[in-house]
Amino acid sequence: MFNKHNISIYAIAFIFILMLNFILPRMMPGDPVMAIYGNEALVAMTPELKAQLVERFALDQSLWQQFVAYFSGLFRGELGYSYYFNAPAVSVILGRLPWTLLLVGTALLISTGLGIVLGIESGWRRGSKTDRTLLSTLMSLNGFPDFFLGIILLIGFGVTLGIFPLSGALTPYSGLSGIALMMDILKHLFLPVGALTLAYLGGSYLLTRNTMITVIKEPYMLTAKAKGLSQRRIEYHHAGRNALLPVITRTGIWVGKIFTGALFLELVFAYPGIGYLTYEALMARDYPIIQGVFLVVAISVLLANFLVDLFYSRLDPRVRHAY
Amino acid sequence: MLEIRDLRVSYGKELVLDGIDLDLKRGEALALVGESGAGKTTLGLSVMRLVEGQIRGNIRFDGIEMLKASEAELERIRWRRIAIAFQNANNVLNPVHSVLDQVTEPIVFHGLMDKYQARGRASTLLGYFGLASDRFNAYPHQLSGGEQQRVLLAMAISNYPELLILDEPLSALDATSRSEVGKLIKMDGDCTKLIATHDLDTASKLADRIAVLYGGKIVEEGQASQVLSRPRHPYTRALIRAYPNMTTVKDLQAIKEGLTRPGSGCPFHPRCTQTIDVCRTLAPETVTISDERKIACHRGGIITRLTTSSISKSFGLIRAVKSASLSIEAGETLALVGQTGSGKTTLARIIMGLCQPDSGTIYLDGAVANYSSKNFYQKVQMIFQNPGQSLSHRLSVLQAVTEPLDIQNIGDRAERRAKAMKVLGEMGLPQEENFLYRYPHHLSGGEMQRVAIARALIQDPVLLIADEPTAFLDASNQARILKQLLNLQEQRGLSMLYITHDIAAARKVSDRIAVMLEGSIIEEGPANEIVTAPHEPYTKRLICSASSLHSSQYSGIEQAPV
Amino acid sequence: MHINIKREIRESSTGKAGIIILVIMIMLALLAPLIAPCNPYHQSPMSLLPPSFSHWLGMNHVGQDIWSRLLYGARTSLMVGFGTGALATLIGTAAGISAALIDGLYERIMMRVIDTLIIIPMIIVVILLSAYIRPGVITLILILSFLSWQGGARVIRAQTLSLKEKGHIAAARTFGASRLYIAWRHIVPDLGPILLVDFIYNVRRAIFLEAGLAFLGISDPNMVSWGTMMRDALSYSYLDAWRWWLIPPGIALSLTIVGLTFIGHAAEPVIEPRFREVGIA
Repeated sequence: MFNKHNISIYAIAFIFILMLNFILPRMMPGDPVMAIYGNEALVAMTPELKAQLVERFALDQSLWQQFVAYFSGLFRGELGYSYYFNAPAVSVILGRLPWTLLLVGTALLISTGLGIVLGIESGWRRGSKTDRTLLSTLMSLNGFPDFFLGIILLIGFGVTLGIFPLSGALTPYSGLSGIALMMDILKHLFLPVGALTLAYLGGSYLLTRNTMITVIKEPYMLTAKAKGLSQRRIEYHHAGRNALLPVITRTGIWVGKIFTGALFLELVFAYPGIGYLTYEALMARDYPIIQGVFLVVAISVLLANFLVDLFYSRLDPRVRHAY
Repeated sequence: MLEIRDLRVSYGKELVLDGIDLDLKRGEALALVGESGAGKTTLGLSVMRLVEGQIRGNIRFDGIEMLKASEAELERIRWRRIAIAFQNANNVLNPVHSVLDQVTEPIVFHGLMDKYQARGRASTLLGYFGLASDRFNAYPHQLSGGEQQRVLLAMAISNYPELLILDEPLSALDATSRSEVGKLIKMDGDCTKLIATHDLDTASKLADRIAVLYGGKIVEEGQASQVLSRPRHPYTRALIRAYPNMTTVKDLQAIKEGLTRPGSGCPFHPRCTQTIDVCRTLAPETVTISDERKIACHRGGIITRLTTSSISKSFGLIRAVKSASLSIEAGETLALVGQTGSGKTTLARIIMGLCQPDSGTIYLDGAVANYSSKNFYQKVQMIFQNPGQSLSHRLSVLQAVTEPLDIQNIGDRAERRAKAMKVLGEMGLPQEENFLYRYPHHLSGGEMQRVAIARALIQDPVLLIADEPTAFLDASNQARILKQLLNLQEQRGLSMLYITHDIAAARKVSDRIAVMLEGSIIEEGPANEIVTAPHEPYTKRLICSASSLHSSQYSGIEQAPV
Repeated sequence: MHINIKREIRESSTGKAGIIILVIMIMLALLAPLIAPCNPYHQSPMSLLPPSFSHWLGMNHVGQDIWSRLLYGARTSLMVGFGTGALATLIGTAAGISAALIDGLYERIMMRVIDTLIIIPMIIVVILLSAYIRPGVITLILILSFLSWQGGARVIRAQTLSLKEKGHIAAARTFGASRLYIAWRHIVPDLGPILLVDFIYNVRRAIFLEAGLAFLGISDPNMVSWGTMMRDALSYSYLDAWRWWLIPPGIALSLTIVGLTFIGHAAEPVIEPRFREVGIA
């Protein structure tokens, strides 16, 4: 929906994130350079390097000038320099981003898709054994924190049964290509995506199921039955199509959750995405990376929300033609 | 083609349909008429076996036992051989699909055409029912109520079903659209139609036959035009009386209040004004009372109260009454209209037994009237023209009103007083001491006449003979009394013989009018027919010269030659 | 809403299960100081011992008794959980009701704020802040509450808007009641079930976040937390130690969250009666 309210919200959110990123390190007590680069980094820095940094990031100037420098830096695509990785933060982050996108994207698609289908089936057969089993299983599953699920899967399938590799996105130095490479990536992807999917399956399932329950009572369901349509057609084309809507709306929010879930899981599986990067940066107090990741993730989530809103209006004609 | 036998449908403890028997022949249109909650929609849904409750009984469609058929068979029949156009409510159409898609869907699904052709037919149908073509791809919420109704109709006939069930098909449309769409529906002659509606106009325009539904049972069934012009069941008559329409001239009357679903007996008995004991305990069977008419009533429908058969009376050489034959049904008002000297008062007096006829017989409730029994005067009472004379100036209001009870020795003093208070209340008169002990000469003309009517009512009569009851009253009092008489009819089921020279007043309170000239009854019929299309020249003159606020003559009726 | 929420929860089997789980956890947390055999902070040279009679779950890598740490971890989780839940629900209620009752600029600004905060993935902000601050229990409660009240606020506002139109509130206004009076005497009681469900889900989220932050290693390292236990245990996953070190806190955490989920699910029909389950669910 392109109305004023929504656009202004996205704009405000965006600005808020930028501000937060700017303000946070400057709120820390002590030397701004120390705050940005952390204690350990400073110790290893020579005074000349430090002076260079101060000049580069305009740290000795007034707050307003710093802000301007920060913003112009952003526009140029500069997110600071990572001491830990000894490279511009941007390139480090962009190097890791694709893996996370792969992880998050796959998990989002599968968990939402599967959740919707299971939710429709469950809602349609409410009260039956199928429904009750699915409901209790998925509700319980929903309670497991994503990282714990990851750990269980890791230990279960990785350590004990040895079916899947324990870490990484691909086998290093293996020199594979083409299909073999794809298979390797998939093998490494399987457990993390599995954990992420299982953890977030419950959300879309429960919402879809709940919506199905209300949709089934609507008058047009009787109309569909009167038309002599098959059960399957009524279930999906008529009920399911309506039950989809709230889930799609929520997908935007779930993207945020799955992203953060990915953070934990990359840690568990040592998966070289942004999440693992964040962890490494947190341990090393590499603030440019941390801030950079925050920015990238927050903006990705905002973008995803925006796209979902767009997509939703295509699905719900009542919204599309709201007058 | 459709046979329903002893259909009973209940939702949990609530019995919605209680033993329905109905037949529908191929090509005919039957309207199921009833008020909301009567069960019309449930009946329609039952035929397609779409109700959620418990169904018992038999429904046979073209030989197929609908209630025993498998779900797979039903899916084949639904919307292919039987279709339903639902009542237009919110969300009857799926909000996420365009209306064209929804009309196309059943055509494609039942394998009749491929998608492309089906869309073509769907478009044609939507256009046929008057939907603008730029609205075809719209979504339900974008259409007005009337447009949605058209979509529902188009969708229903999309597969040209053999049996079409229509639930309030015209309710969402405005008046002009109604006639337009109504014609479209009627044009499809081959299709058998079952129309559920509370609107009598829809029923009269669309249906060949009508079945009236009350309390889960069919109380009357017959040819549409016949049922509406000559209803035989008390409920049907009351329903028609309550329905504002351009045909009826009598004022609107409501139906007496009462439980809509009594535990036992005839479902209508708490609101019926001609009940007898068995009505309360036993449900009536449906009987065929004439060639096309069926009725479920212990009394065989509306009973006839009074019949005068070829009454003649002469006073010397003057033939006052010449072979007058009349009949009055229970709960009906017959107006006897004529000039002074026409013989109407004589006829009234003969009916009351105040005057002996030369020939002819009077029947009351089927039996010859016996004036020596108390029974007759308990049932039939008269109201005279001049209340100043009909009330004795010696008696106070209370004494006057209780006089009939005193004469018949009914009840003790306290009971008589209580009854007096009740009838005074019915006539809108005060029941305080100072009024009860007042004498007639201290009352106004209107009050006196009302006291006289109260007196007439105190024995709970079934027939009132009112001889020019408002002749001595001014317009406002006349209006008040006429309205009260209508109320009495509504609440007590009172029949009335209303004698007057004023045809304008007559038509407001009567169901039928009989015109009397020089001792003979020259014309007689339903009030609206007499008033709008009289046959006799004399009647026409009466109407022309009746009171009118128009400066020119009464429209439509030519002045007959004098 | 004449449906009694307590009865709703008690009558559904999921609700009952949830309550039982939660009560057990609360009991363990409350009685921890009494039943824990050892001081959870006390380190000893007996590291990585398997379970024994005196140490039911063995010892961790710095010689701390795992069972005691498990019990004290419950305290941390529940304190943070309920503290955040209460505070977040409080803020959300105040924000939601005020946004609904006070029209004009205040409402529009408040709605913008609420919607913006909903879109921003707060967990990331929480992680960022924690990385800087290393919060302990109290700080954690404050941070988490202030960053998670917005979801409830939106629902509360929507509900208040529809309640506002009801007759008895309009009547109270004609008697000159102030908005505060109306909010307190009329709206809050009617909102009861929604507030309870909001509270339950806030508690659940807080417990999850507390464990997650501890797992990442960015909360106060001196806090005994299930998350920290899992983090420490993970680095020793190649040993068998994970059986008694990693799994118990994970199970405890999951059970607590599942219990809360069940209670929340059982309470939902109060708000939306159609969701009442047929049969056992």
